[in-house]
Amino acid sequence: MGASGTASSGATPIVSVNSLSVAYRSGGRDVPVVREVSLEVAPGRTVALVGESGSGKSTVAATLLGHLRHGSRITGGSVHIKGSDVFALSPRELRRLRGGTVAMVAQNAGHALTPSMRIGRQIAEAGGDIPVVDLLDQVRLPRPAELARRYPHELSGGQQQRVAIAMAIAARPDVLVLDEPTTGLDVVTQRGVLDLIAGLRDELGLAAVLVSHDLGVVAHLADDVTVLRSGRVVESSSTRTLFATPQDPYTRKLLASVPRLDDAGLALVGEAGEREVRPKAQVPVEATVAVSAREVTVDYGSTRAVHGVSFDVRRGEVLALVGESGSGKSTLAWTLAGLRTPSGGTLTHESGDLARPAERRPLSLRRRVQLVFQNADTSLNPRRSVGDAVRRPLRFFGSATSQADAAVRARELISDVRLDPALADRLPAQLSGGQRQRIGIARALAGEPDVLIADEITTALDVSVQAEVLRLLDDLRRERRLACLFISHDLAVVRGIADRVAVLRHGVVVEEGPTEAVFASPGHPYTRQLMAAALEPDPDAEPLAEDTAEWVDTAEPDDLWTDHGDGHRVRRWSTSVTEGNA
Amino acid sequence: MTTLDTAPVAATAPAPTRAVVRVWRTLRSSRAAVIGLSVVTVHVLIALLAPLLTSYDPIANNADEALLGPSGAHWAGTDQYGRDVLARVLYGGRYALGVSVTATLITVALGTVIGCAAALRGGWFDDVLGRILDAVLSVPAVLSLLVVVTALGTGPSVIVLAIAVVFVPQVVRVVRGAALAVVPQDYVTAARARGEGTWAILRREILPNITDVVCVEFAMRASWVVLLISSLSFLGFGADPPTPDWGLMVAENRTAITVVPMASLAPIIALATLVIGLNLAADGLSKAWGVDRIREGS
Amino acid sequence: MLSFLARRIAAALGTLLLASVLVFLAVQALPGDVATQVLGKDATPDAVAALRGQLGLDRPAWERYTDWVGGALHGDFGTSLVTGKAVGGEVSAYLGNSALIAGITILFAVTGSIVLGVLAGLYRDRWPDHLISTVSLVGMSVPEFVVATVLVLCFSIALPWFPAVVLYGPDASVGQLLPAVWLPALALAVVMAAYIVRMARTSVIDVMASEYVTTARLKGLSTWRVVTRHALPGALLPTLHVIALNVAWLAGGVAVVENVFNYPGIGKLMLSSVQNRDLPVIQAIALVSSVVYVACNLAADLATMALNPKLRTRGRTR
Repeated sequence: MGASGTASSGATPIVSVNSLSVAYRSGGRDVPVVREVSLEVAPGRTVALVGESGSGKSTVAATLLGHLRHGSRITGGSVHIKGSDVFALSPRELRRLRGGTVAMVAQNAGHALTPSMRIGRQIAEAGGDIPVVDLLDQVRLPRPAELARRYPHELSGGQQQRVAIAMAIAARPDVLVLDEPTTGLDVVTQRGVLDLIAGLRDELGLAAVLVSHDLGVVAHLADDVTVLRSGRVVESSSTRTLFATPQDPYTRKLLASVPRLDDAGLALVGEAGEREVRPKAQVPVEATVAVSAREVTVDYGSTRAVHGVSFDVRRGEVLALVGESGSGKSTLAWTLAGLRTPSGGTLTHESGDLARPAERRPLSLRRRVQLVFQNADTSLNPRRSVGDAVRRPLRFFGSATSQADAAVRARELISDVRLDPALADRLPAQLSGGQRQRIGIARALAGEPDVLIADEITTALDVSVQAEVLRLLDDLRRERRLACLFISHDLAVVRGIADRVAVLRHGVVVEEGPTEAVFASPGHPYTRQLMAAALEPDPDAEPLAEDTAEWVDTAEPDDLWTDHGDGHRVRRWSTSVTEGNA
Repeated sequence: MTTLDTAPVAATAPAPTRAVVRVWRTLRSSRAAVIGLSVVTVHVLIALLAPLLTSYDPIANNADEALLGPSGAHWAGTDQYGRDVLARVLYGGRYALGVSVTATLITVALGTVIGCAAALRGGWFDDVLGRILDAVLSVPAVLSLLVVVTALGTGPSVIVLAIAVVFVPQVVRVVRGAALAVVPQDYVTAARARGEGTWAILRREILPNITDVVCVEFAMRASWVVLLISSLSFLGFGADPPTPDWGLMVAENRTAITVVPMASLAPIIALATLVIGLNLAADGLSKAWGVDRIREGS
Repeated sequence: MLSFLARRIAAALGTLLLASVLVFLAVQALPGDVATQVLGKDATPDAVAALRGQLGLDRPAWERYTDWVGGALHGDFGTSLVTGKAVGGEVSAYLGNSALIAGITILFAVTGSIVLGVLAGLYRDRWPDHLISTVSLVGMSVPEFVVATVLVLCFSIALPWFPAVVLYGPDASVGQLLPAVWLPALALAVVMAAYIVRMARTSVIDVMASEYVTTARLKGLSTWRVVTRHALPGALLPTLHVIALNVAWLAGGVAVVENVFNYPGIGKLMLSSVQNRDLPVIQAIALVSSVVYVACNLAADLATMALNPKLRTRGRTR
């Protein structure tokens, strides 16, 4: 920890945090959230605060602007910006510091912009003498004059985040605090926003403090990294050193847990952070097809979410559906689970028709197709014990004959998902996020399914927990020969677990094939775009694929695909009109 | 978004014990709820034990002792008919609590069932119900009550019925809103995907998650009902004259307020403390359970 | 946006229509025949039948309903069974007097309670909040007649500033009524303000904890600007509906207070017509109250729309 200052070579730090401790009051006692954190940022440098949820990283970042959440207070240490103690400033000086010297870009611009105020006015009141239109132009927003008159809800997520950045740089501050600036954005949009931030930072010579849980973002943007865990600094060094030779076991484990685009299988992470890539399970050629979709379309009212998607999933095989938000991948998952009805095409299980909603499927079929939800926080009833959550389907589907039998079976299932059966009596709120997601899986297994639909099941989890849940899923499909439909937006995760991949864009499959083939030679420009935008936890990483310029879809109803062999096929496309037919 | 996992260890107890633990923790964390519930409890005890607390008959006239000020024999003095004011106040809680608790129970129970059904069924059922409730709400509660009471008489059962008619729509609205927040949750979706029936989903998944709202609604609604019943008595449409009732007492003794202020003030104090108690309980519980929607930064 | 507006107005009219049916049915369901009521128990059957014919009671219910609604649309609510005068004129005289009280009440209650509620929300968990919250809790826990009685005790008896009762009838002029208006208005305002204060406080706290207010603060704006420009528009939106409900509540709430002060307003008329079973008057008051309720809610919805750009700009392309 004493080494925190050494990385910033000699220059007087513009930000210096000295053994800062913060606590909030809860139930009459102080709960520490930040403990003796020290940190320095030299002018022009970018320091990343990295940690999992509850590490106190956002709290530290907010103190740079003299901000504490309601009920929190400083219990020790100090924060100095340009030599002056932030928490000793008068209200007037504090206002001048905010915006003028330090500016913040908050996590979710959709929530950070005042809904009842036009964008232009919100930027203008941030101060500075640069015209709003120029600022909007500087963050590369199209038609700035018109945009300034819009309200926040009329913009897309990426545009909102750009507006938030324009607001932050309006008064030309010296320090930029970026609190998870791209969390919640799609990969391609995220890449654009990150490149914009990097460009502005260099152009304006800003110092930056980047708060992130995403090691890919950190590797891409930061000069120095400070790793936090439960409010304490675990390790602090230059980005290159940290990613190359992490010292602390926690950092090593954190780094090892991040899935990578070049993993040939699932990475198994040891306690000390050693990493071993497990080769994928071989799906026997004679494995039966468990679920088969042919030209499935799904409509929401008058808008079509899924346009004619076809796929097969065999027993013991993992098929990944990859796409950005709005690609229709979750709609497809819900349709398969019987929560929506397809408007066209056929959807069949080896033992029956799946084109009907759940309540009209026979019980024997319903139990064989099970869904695991994205967010385990909301998928378990907070007022019922987790044991009850597993017992209910056991009784409902009739796999347990009596209450006592159900209780025994539930405990078995809970230990099958590598949890202590004693947890059965707890309420969901008393489990961690990863434990809750395992219970979600146990509940799905209670129906003894042969098809498991995993809808973004690791998205809400911290990276080390994600690795454990992925491993569990991989184990289960090996043990139980599950046909698994794995929905994700994260290419690196997909690379490790899926046998085959289908890339969805606006409800259409643009490319599909064996994982190895798709990742080795992505055929569709959209797939390449996704891969180029993905960020590896390595400061020197080269993009896996070149971004392709403009393209158009040239698929004809009877000539949809370019076949690359071995089931790898790409929807027909060509470079833009100017170049003619390739 | 950063949620700390503060998993309490005391939590491995079986369900009933867990409920007790939860109630205990709620009470410990909210002083308002404790004060409110204690005040209400004291009122209930007084109403039950009234005969033991005073030796006077609350409805016996005694012309010799009319309009006396507070004294050793009559702590709160007497009214124009020579009845002991304290005795009438102590007994008065029986009517107020009896009628309002019954009325509130029925109202909240009905409102909860209808509200949940509306949230879960949705569609035309919800629309039509919403219109009807709005139409009922649009007629002032006092007027509806007055009409029902004049039509059917002033017996307690009539008042209970009238209050149910007036207040059910409001409870339905609140419960429907709470249930609507639960219906899109993934655990309800999971139950739907399993193919569970409407009733099972309601009972297993939705009701346990809106008990907070329903409890708070009960305390809130009870305070309104107490107020409304006393207003009704004050106007001469509630309790029939010899009955000891606070609203009635204020109406009877108001004209003599300069002579025997205690005769008016005592029932006012009783009424106000009961309602404040109920409101404090509602407030404290809703804050402790987060029903009031105030999101604290974690 | 226009279609939203049209839908909202159509819904309001539907509610009103439904309310009129309910009112009509409820009054029909009252036991006892109106003709018998009017003529007394000893009336001959012939006289009763004659009066029934005269009142149109022998015609089918739906016919009488359409007549009633048709008349009501032109301001004709029939004749009072007690005074024999036109109900419309009578109700509007009383209503005008009540409007005087209501206007003053709304003015004081709404402005005062929003200021107090916002203050309490901004000084959350500090002494101004504790003070305001406690006072408003007491305010909503004490029935109107108690507030009114206490006010009379203080400002008519102890300090004889205002009259304790009104001695004029419904046709009194504004000048005659004006001195008597303040105490009833104050009594109503106390109760009404209590609810609005609490709602305003809650929503201010909600909004002040929102990310966009934090962002505005961290932009270095002054507290005044943060509150007035960023927090208040969002905080007042949910308060609007509570205000609307309370304004509608006045229609019933005045009954008690007007009775205490013997004020010749709609509440007093309501009470006496219920006592006298003057059905046409009861129907008319109920219908007028429904109109007030529906209009208040509609106004709140329209105001919400005006203040909330998400609703206002609906349909504009991204």
